[in-house]
Amino acid sequence: MLSTLNSLFIAAVLAGTPLLLGALGEILTEKSGNLNLGVEGMMFMGAITGLAGSYYYEQGVVKAGGDPSGVLSALIALIVSFLAGALGALIYAFLTISLRANQNVTGLTLTIFGTGFGNFFGEYIGQKAGGYVAVSEVTKNTFSKLHIPVLSDIPVLGKLLFQYNWVVYFAIVVAIIMAWVFNKSRIGLNLRAVGEDPATADAAGISITKYKYIATVVGGGICGIGGMYMSMVTTSGVWVHGCVSGYGWLAVALVIFATWSPARGMLVALIFGGLTIMRMYVNIPGLPAQIYDMLPYVATIIVLIVTSMRQSKEHAQPKSCGNNYFREER
Amino acid sequence: MKKKVLSAVLCAAMIVGVVAGCGAPAAETGGSDDAKKTEASGGIAKEDIKVGFVHISDPSDMGYTYNQDLGTQEMQKELGLSDDQIVNKYNVPEGAECDTALRELVDAGCNIIFATSFGYEDYVKEVAAEYPDIQFCHATGLQAKDSGLDNFHNYFASIYEGRYLAGIAAGMKTESNKLGYVAAFPFAEVISGYTAFYLGAKSVNPDVTMDIMYTNSWNDPTVESQVAKALIERGCDVISQHSDSTAPATTAEENGVWQVGYNNDMSEAAPNASLISPRIDWGIYVTEAVQAVIDGEEIPVDWCKGYKDGAVYLSPLNEAIAAEGTQEAIDEAAAAIEAGELHVFAGPLKGVSPEGEEYEVKEGEYYHEQEEQSAPSWLYIIDGCNVVE
Repeated sequence: MLSTLNSLFIAAVLAGTPLLLGALGEILTEKSGNLNLGVEGMMFMGAITGLAGSYYYEQGVVKAGGDPSGVLSALIALIVSFLAGALGALIYAFLTISLRANQNVTGLTLTIFGTGFGNFFGEYIGQKAGGYVAVSEVTKNTFSKLHIPVLSDIPVLGKLLFQYNWVVYFAIVVAIIMAWVFNKSRIGLNLRAVGEDPATADAAGISITKYKYIATVVGGGICGIGGMYMSMVTTSGVWVHGCVSGYGWLAVALVIFATWSPARGMLVALIFGGLTIMRMYVNIPGLPAQIYDMLPYVATIIVLIVTSMRQSKEHAQPKSCGNNYFREER
Repeated sequence: MKKKVLSAVLCAAMIVGVVAGCGAPAAETGGSDDAKKTEASGGIAKEDIKVGFVHISDPSDMGYTYNQDLGTQEMQKELGLSDDQIVNKYNVPEGAECDTALRELVDAGCNIIFATSFGYEDYVKEVAAEYPDIQFCHATGLQAKDSGLDNFHNYFASIYEGRYLAGIAAGMKTESNKLGYVAAFPFAEVISGYTAFYLGAKSVNPDVTMDIMYTNSWNDPTVESQVAKALIERGCDVISQHSDSTAPATTAEENGVWQVGYNNDMSEAAPNASLISPRIDWGIYVTEAVQAVIDGEEIPVDWCKGYKDGAVYLSPLNEAIAAEGTQEAIDEAAAAIEAGELHVFAGPLKGVSPEGEEYEVKEGEYYHEQEEQSAPSWLYIIDGCNVVE
C-alpha cells in the first residue's frame, strides 16, 4: 500500500512537471493581461528545437572527433527551447500588443502554427537522420533521474524527493522565483497593475508595452521548456510525432486550477499530474478508465465554480486579461 | 471604412480560391473516365494506373504508417510506377474526413484505393458502393465478404504469429517472470496480439505471467510512457506494446528493463532495451492487388498471409541483450509454424471476453485465428494475463 502511494507520488511529480512549466509560462503571460492560448504550439516549438539543439550539438562534436558533454547538451536544449518558445510568444506579442489583433484568435493560430512547426521539423530531421532522431546515451543520462549524494540515499524520503531529473527541480525553482517576483518585488507589483487595469498603470507611468512584451515573451520561453520536457524526458530524447499531444491545453486548464498563483501552481500541478496517472496505480473495480481520464477536467470545473461563487478578487483572472490596451481609446 | 474595404477584398480572395480549388479536380476526373474505359476492356496499362492511400498518420510516426509506407514503396519499386501515380492522404482522422479523402482520391483518378486504418471501414464501404469501377482495399477490417460488393476488399497479416515468436524472446529474458503490455484498446486485434505474445513467452517459461494496461488511444506517447512506467513499478521487466510510438521502448530503457516492439525495429530508439519487434510486410499485398488491377484480374475479397509467406517477419534479434539460445528457440518455433505443426491458439485454452463471455479450446484442437477472415477475432483473456483497470 505504502509503496503504491510512493510510486503514485513519484509518477504524479513526473506527469505534473511539464504541466507546471506550461502553466507558469501562461500565468506570467496572463498577469500582464495577455491571454495566450498558444501554449500547446509554444510547447511543440520548444520540444523540437530542444531536441534538435542537443542532437546537432552531439553530431557536431562527434564529427569533430570529440566526446559530447551531457551537461552542455542539456544546457543547449534548455536555452534553445526557451528561445523557440519565446520566438513563438514574440509573434503573438507583436500581433496582439503592437497590432492589437484579437488575442483568442492569435493564440489559437499560434497553437496550429507551433504544432505544424514541431511535427514538420521533427519529420525533416528524422528523414535526414535516416530514421529516428535520437540523442546519445550521454544526453539521455543527463535527463534521467539524479543521484544526489547523501540526500538520495535517505530511505523512502530520498526516493520521494531527491531522485528526479533536473528539470523537475528547475520547474520548482522557477515557480518559487515567480511567486517572489509577483508578491514581493516592485516589478511584480507593476506587472499585476498592468494586467488588472492598464489605463491606471499607464497613468502611474508604467510602460505598458514593455511589461506586456517582456512578460509574454519570457512566459512563452517557459512554456517552450515545458515542451522540451516532453521530448527529452517523457520520450527520452527521441522525436515522436505529436509528442505534446494536448498537454498545452491541460496547462491552460491548470492556470485556472491554480487561480493564477505560481506557488499554488506547484501543488495543483502535483494533483493534476496525479489525477492523470491515477488509474494506473489505484484501481477501483468497476470504474471505467474514461471516468479517471475526466478527473482533471472535472476538478478544473469545480475550482471555476467555487472561485466564481466566492467572488474573491484575489483568486480571479487579471481583470484586463483578453483585452488589448490602446492608449487613445481611454 | 478601411475595414469594409478589407473584408470585401478578403471575400473576393476567398471566392477566387474556392473557384480555383474546384477547377483542378474537375480537370482530373476527365482522366479517370479514360482509365475506366481501359479497365472495362480487361486490365489497365501500367503507365496509366493511379494508386491512392488513406493513412491515419504520416510516416514520421516511425510506427504503423511508416511501416505501411514502406509497403507502398516496395510496390512502387516492384512495379516500376512513377511518383505521380501514387497519391497519399496522410493524417486523415477516422471520421467524415475519411469520406472526403476517399472522394478526393476518386476525383484524382485513382483506380485502386487503400485505406489503412480500422475505423475507415464504414466510409470505404459507402464510397465503394458508389464507384463500382474502382477497387477499394481496407486493412484490418471485416465487412468486405458480407458487403455484396465486388470492388471492396479486406486485408491483414497474421501478426499473431510474429507476436508469438517475439514472446519467446521475452519469456527467455524475463527475470521477474512478469511481462508488461502497453495495449491500445480492448479490441480483438489487440487482445489477439497480446494473448499470442503471452503464449509465446509461456511456451519457453511456464511460470511467466503478464500485466496488461490500456492507454485507450492508438498514439499518445505521454500516456504510453506513463503506462509503461506503472507496469515497471508493478515488477514487469519486459515491456511490449500494441500502440504506435516508441515511448514504451525508451521508458523501458530508462528504467533498466527490456522491451519488445511493434511495427518497426525500435533498436535505434532504445539500443539497450529493444530485444526484437514483430513486423508486417504490407508490400506483398499491395503489390499483388495493384498487379491484379493492371492485369484485369480479381482481387481476393479477404486476404491474409502470415509468417510462412513473409507477410509477417521479425526485426533482427538484439544478440547483445537477448538470453542465450533465444535465436535457436525462435527459429525452432518459426519452423514449426511454417510447417503447420504449431498453432498459436492451441488447446487446452480457456478465456473470458471483456463482455464476460467464456470460451474454451479443447485439448488437441486449436482456434482458427485469421483463417476464415483476415481480421483477428480472438478476444478472450486467458489465465496468466492480468488486465489492470
